[in-house]
Parts: sequence; C-alpha cells; structure tokens
Amino acid sequence: MNTLANSAAVAPPGRVRMLRKRYFPTPLQGVVSVVSAGLLLLISWKLLDWAFLSAVFGAEGSAAECRAAGGACWSVIANRWRIIFFGLYPHAEQWRSALACVAVVAMIVLSCVPSFWRPWRLAAVWIIGTAVYYILMKGGILGLRYVGEEQWGGLALTLFIFVATCLIGFPLSIVLALLRRSELPVISRGTGLLIDAVRSLPLLAILFAFAVVVPFMLPGWMQTGKLYRVVFGAGLFFAAYQAEIIRGGLQGVPRGQEEAAMALGIGYWHRVGKILLPQAMRNALPATINQFVIGFKETSLVIVVGFFEILASGNAAYGTGEWTFAYREVYAFIALIYFVFTYSLSRYGAYLERRMAISSR
Amino acid sequence: MKLVKFGLGAAAMALIATGANAQGGPTLNTVKERGTLLCTGHDGSYLGFAEVDDKGAWTGLDIDLCRAVATAILGDPAKATVIPISWAQRWPALQSGEVDLVVKASGATLSRDAELGLQFSLSYYLGTTKIMAHKSLGLSSLADADGGTICIPAGTTQQQQIASYTQKLGITLEPVIIEKTEELEQAYFSGRCDLYTQWGPVLAIARAAKGNVDEHDILPDVLALEPEVIVMRSGDDNWIDIANWTLSALWFAEQEGIDSENVDEIKADPPSPEIAKFLGVNPGMGTPLGLSDDWAYNVIKQMGNYAEIFDRNLGEGSPYKMDREMTALWKDGGVLYPYLID
Repeated sequence: MNTLANSAAVAPPGRVRMLRKRYFPTPLQGVVSVVSAGLLLLISWKLLDWAFLSAVFGAEGSAAECRAAGGACWSVIANRWRIIFFGLYPHAEQWRSALACVAVVAMIVLSCVPSFWRPWRLAAVWIIGTAVYYILMKGGILGLRYVGEEQWGGLALTLFIFVATCLIGFPLSIVLALLRRSELPVISRGTGLLIDAVRSLPLLAILFAFAVVVPFMLPGWMQTGKLYRVVFGAGLFFAAYQAEIIRGGLQGVPRGQEEAAMALGIGYWHRVGKILLPQAMRNALPATINQFVIGFKETSLVIVVGFFEILASGNAAYGTGEWTFAYREVYAFIALIYFVFTYSLSRYGAYLERRMAISSR
Repeated sequence: MKLVKFGLGAAAMALIATGANAQGGPTLNTVKERGTLLCTGHDGSYLGFAEVDDKGAWTGLDIDLCRAVATAILGDPAKATVIPISWAQRWPALQSGEVDLVVKASGATLSRDAELGLQFSLSYYLGTTKIMAHKSLGLSSLADADGGTICIPAGTTQQQQIASYTQKLGITLEPVIIEKTEELEQAYFSGRCDLYTQWGPVLAIARAAKGNVDEHDILPDVLALEPEVIVMRSGDDNWIDIANWTLSALWFAEQEGIDSENVDEIKADPPSPEIAKFLGVNPGMGTPLGLSDDWAYNVIKQMGNYAEIFDRNLGEGSPYKMDREMTALWKDGGVLYPYLID
C-alpha cells in the first residue's frame, strides 16, 4: 500500500490506471470488487458502531443502560477486569498478582534480548524471574499473606502455566532430540517411542491423566499440587513436539560438519553445543516460534481440570446475574489480550529471522 | 473405565479406615487437623449456585452450603477453601481427597450411589426440567406446541426427557441441539426456536437475565425432577451425619423462625427445650457428632437460616428472583423438613 501511495503522489494518472488494472479489468470483476468493498465497509461500519459509537463505557454504566444502547457494553470490563486479570486472587492482595505478571513479562522480554543469550545470564534471568513470581503469588514469607494455588487465576495463571511449560518443555526437548540421535539403538528407539507415544495422545487426555489419574498411582511422598502435575504434563507434551522440530533442524545441518569436528578431535559437548545446536536452532526457528504460539494458546485447555486461567476467569466475569448478556464483550477483550501476546511473539520471531539471516551472510 | 476402579479402590480403603471412633470419623478428623474444609467451586461460573463477585470471592447457594458445613465444624465460614473444579473432574477429585465434599448442583443417581462409591446427603434443592416459550405464541402447555421447534442443550439428560415426554403427549417437535449455553440461549431469544428446555433454575435465570420476564412463559409441564444433594465418599457415617445435620439445622432454624438477626435474642431466652439444645444453651447438640455444642448457633449466626441463604443467592435478594417452589419447607407446601432434635 505504501508504494502505491508514493507512486500516486508522483504520478496520479498512474494510480488510476493501476487501480483500474487491479480491481476493474473486466466488468464482472469490477462488480465483484465493488460488492466486496461495499461488504467490507458495511462490516467495518457495523463493528465500529457496535464497539465504539453505540457502546457504553465506564464503570457507572448499568446493565439496563447497556441494553438500551444496543452496542457493546464495555462497562462489564470496567467492573470486572480484575477477575479477568487476577481470577480468584484475594482483592486486597491483587497488587502482588499484578507485580508477578510484570515479573514474568520482564523475564520473557529480557530473555528475548540477544545480549542475554549466555547460558548463565539466561539461567539467572529465569531463575530470578520464576522465584519472584512464585514468592509474590504464594506468599507465606517476607510478611506476605499465604495464598494457595486454588486462588491463583486469570492472566497471572495463564502466564505462569505458559512460562513453566516452556521452562520444563524446552530443555527437555533438546535432551530428547539429542537422545533420539544417539547411536545406541535402545536409547534412540526408546526415545522415539516416548515421543511418538506422547504425540499420539491429545493434550486434553494428558492433562486429565496428570490432574486426575496420577494422584491414585503415586506414593504419598511424591504427591504434589495439581497445578504442578498439570504443568509437567503440558511441558512433556510441548517437549515431544519441540524435540521433533529440533531434530528436523539438526538434520538440516550438513553431516560433513559433524564429521569434520570429529576428525579435529572436538569432544561431544563442544560439537553439539557450539556447532550443531546453534545451526539447528536457526533452521528450526520458524517452527519453534510457531510451537511457542501454540503453547500459549493451549494453556486455555487447563480449564477442563478446573483451573481459573484467563478463559475460565472470563466466564466468571460475565457469569453473574447482572452481566450474563455481556459475554461477547468479555470474549472480545480476552481475544485482544491473547492477540497482544501471540502477535508480539510472532513479531519477535520475524525479528530473530532477520537477525540470523544477517549473521549467515 | 479405569477411573471407576481407582475410585472404588479409594472408597474401599476409606471403608477399612472407618473405625469405631464415635467422636468423629476420619474425614472430620482430617478437616479439623487441616483447619480448612475443601469445597468444590466451578471452572467459571454457574449462575446462582457458584459465581464470583466483583472482588473475586465466591458466592452462590452451593458455596454457602459448603461454608455452612465449614462453620459447623470449624466455627468460621472463612475456613472453607473453595477449589475450582470442572464438572468432569468432580468425582475423581472427591475420591482422591482433593475435596472433602461435592456441593455442585449434582443429582442423586443410581450409578453415582452404587458404582462410583459415593453417598448422598438429604436433598437441598429440587431442580425440575421445564420448558420456556415465547409469550406471543400463547401456549398454555406443551400439548399445544405440536410442530414447533425446541432448543435443547446437547449431551444432557434433557434430550431423553423431552423425547419421552413428547412421545407420551403424542406430539412432534423439531429439535435444535446446541452445546454451549450462550449460543443456545441466543438461538431461543433470537426466535430461532419456539421453545427452550433446560434445568429449571438455569431457565429462570436466563429469563431474568434477559431483562424482559413478561415476554416469556415457563410452561407448567414438568419433564423430570432432579434432587440435588451433597455428595461424599462412601464409608464415613459420621461425615454424612454432619452434612445432613448442617442442612437440618438450616431448615430447623427456618421452621422455628430463628435467623441471623434474632439468634442472639433467642439464645438468651430460648422458648423451648429443643431450641435451647439446638443453640447450645443446653448440652448435647454437638458432642455425638464430634462437633462443639454451639455449632448450630455458629451456623445460623454467620450464614443465616435456609431461607436467608436461598434468598440472597437465588431469591428476592438476588438478580434472579426465583420462587422456592418445591424447595420450600413442608409447612409452606415444599418438601424440605428438618430432623427432630430430641
């Protein structure tokens, strides 16, 4: 569109010709263009009217006022946003939940900055970030009131599940990918079997098994909270898929490089850590970003085992006598939150690809 | 079904563990030791029964009943820890000990009782399956609706109930089956269906929430009755006694006109020996159950009697303005009654 506008500024007749060539080459296509443009305008107008012009804003807007206005009722968000963000977290302590969200987002942003890509810095960022989140949310020390996991919820819980899933799943996926390339058939076949077994199960079944069935099988001393079991299950699922993505990346590295390194007498860990993995990660980057985006969206599945993540919180936000009619607005708001996160992730992926393309030149 | 077997195993263990301890069963002792009662919440909200207020705290009939049990045992409604639980997860959660009891609009059924190894309290709510119709159609009962379209929630017992009921009446209805409640209600209110069948409270709440109660009739036909109960693991007799007596106390107080406002007054000057015992003025109300003697006083003082609880969650004090109907005391034409205090 930009180039179109620029050329138009220089030579207006060219633009007309271009428009005609693109949208009105034959009468039939002209009609299709006009009808499509009309439909697009109509839909945009309706949406604009619903979302802004006839909408009710502000916390004072009552349910009756909203029904009379006919547009979106953003008052439901103004009144119930705390539930969407913090779920069941005690009202007086919600600043802790907010800070914990900030800590997690800061941790993600920092680990995206290339100058932090040293193993120790990355490890430090993640350990400190997770610890800050955990202490803030759970409390019980430093004079913070104890808040059990059953009261965690909303965006704070969704972020925790996502981050913890990646934290378990990503390192595990590298281990699995390397084990699958092992020259010992028992290990490579066994790992292959594990990966395929996990991949052949739906995530829902895995979550349900970890939340519900596992407690009956584990001995008492191994019992942990439901949240941690479920996060482990999600991490395992993530790792199985991500391991195959990394293996694909490893296969893209020419075999000669590894052989050359062996001929030079470079040890296994150096070979893997300095030669194979960096190149494999570059090959696997688009699919990896894809996997992270999917992972973020799949956190919503934990609703089936009774977690108050952002979607369940949304359900609770409109699920009260006063606001039941306003579910569209709540879902639109949650979609916006999801969009902000997944769109940033994919933009970051695009940036990484550009950056790596430079280094490969 | 592996889960069932696991559940039975857990239930069998609980059965063996039940000793001759007259002073409270294993569940009661666990709860006292832990200092909190683990209750069922919802994964989102179930209008009127379990919802979340503006401050993120649970409210609702089911939640209040669980708080009443917590108050009976531990003397404080805040000692109830509400754990969000989905429908599918409620029985495994109960059997694995993740919750102490299930108060989650759950009906008493044969398979739950006999196959899953569960036991029930008295029924605290009688939910009927009913039908709502657009008033403009002028229907007086379902028999007039031959040839109409009806919205039915997918995968529920209502599907079978409407099939057998229409067969009995000798009429045919065109079903529109939809899974998600919001879509289902949208389909009915937009006029795609003439009729809408649903569990009674959900129907009444949907009508109230829509804001134009007068435009929709709830037909007098009753397709089925579901007695909602508190559900516990089988094998702990003391635990079921506590659930039943907590409900009974709420109903006894309502029957005798004792509420959270006047309970102190009545306790200071009890009009009858039963009430004196009930409120803990005379001993004997709590000890046989393993509770303190003033447990019923605590419950009424802090949670109110059954009428108060119903009123603030479903009745006049709520946005839903529901009638008690069958869920009223025997003397008001309902089916609820307290046990005798002797």
